[in-house]
Amino acid sequence: MRNLRLNSDSRRAARGDRAGALIRTGRILSRLGYLDEQFCQVEDLQDEASPNFAEEVATLFFKDSARLISNVEQALEKYPKDFNRWDAYMQQLKGSCSSIGASRMKSECMSFRDYCGQGNVEGCMRSFHKVKREHGALRQKLEAYFQLLRQAGPAGAATRPGM
Amino acid sequence: MAGAAAERKVIRVLLVEDEEIHRVLARALLRSAVGGVELDEAGTGAEAVRRVRDGGAGAYDLIITDGKMPVMDGHEIRAMGVTTPIVGLSSDTLPPDVDTFIKAGADDFTPKPLSKEKLVRILAKFNLA
Repeated sequence: MRNLRLNSDSRRAARGDRAGALIRTGRILSRLGYLDEQFCQVEDLQDEASPNFAEEVATLFFKDSARLISNVEQALEKYPKDFNRWDAYMQQLKGSCSSIGASRMKSECMSFRDYCGQGNVEGCMRSFHKVKREHGALRQKLEAYFQLLRQAGPAGAATRPGM
Repeated sequence: MAGAAAERKVIRVLLVEDEEIHRVLARALLRSAVGGVELDEAGTGAEAVRRVRDGGAGAYDLIITDGKMPVMDGHEIRAMGVTTPIVGLSSDTLPPDVDTFIKAGADDFTPKPLSKEKLVRILAKFNLA
């Protein structure tokens, strides 16, 4: 009986650790500016019919954004100094970022568009690299966040951090 | 238009948007924010015009449309003879971008991303809430 109680205590402690890690991860994502209030709105749309809605939207975002980044990359290569074209592609990516609240990525998209407006090729290239870096970082962090959510289970989801 | 909606007790909204992520979000928002809303979707301005024409007079109570899309932009819908209230929805929010929508005949504009608050405001503005 004592061993069972210890196992039960251990499991409770483990759940507590996971819930704590979940809260910390969520706050880090928000405090470091990776995600803004829009992501909270997306999470708030989860219900019994769509319990994993936020993760589904995130998956869709990363599928979309990978394609849009590739479009920009090809345009940079194939259409030198075609700032209108570059801007048009980046505008789509920016819109996608805003849908999920990817604020740091969106900010870099806006920098890129500013450089397009200035006709600044180097500036465009620099900010495009930053867009890709932010994209990779956000993917990594969101994957970790959703992994924690899955591990925490329904109880953990109920204590999801208010970002 | 609003009178017809009240009799039907269902609001019919046409969302014109080529990016799937925005359609997915709008669907979820409309489902959660407002009861009695039927949502149709079109991926281009041209498809939107076809749906309005095929549906007959009063087919939709509201059209929410993106700006730049393949085949036909959302800005061009009014010019095709559509009289349904139109709300522009875009992540380009500088005054010239908003002007483009309004001058093309949109009745209102809201910046992306769509949210519960924005949706409630829009529906209230057109007496659809």
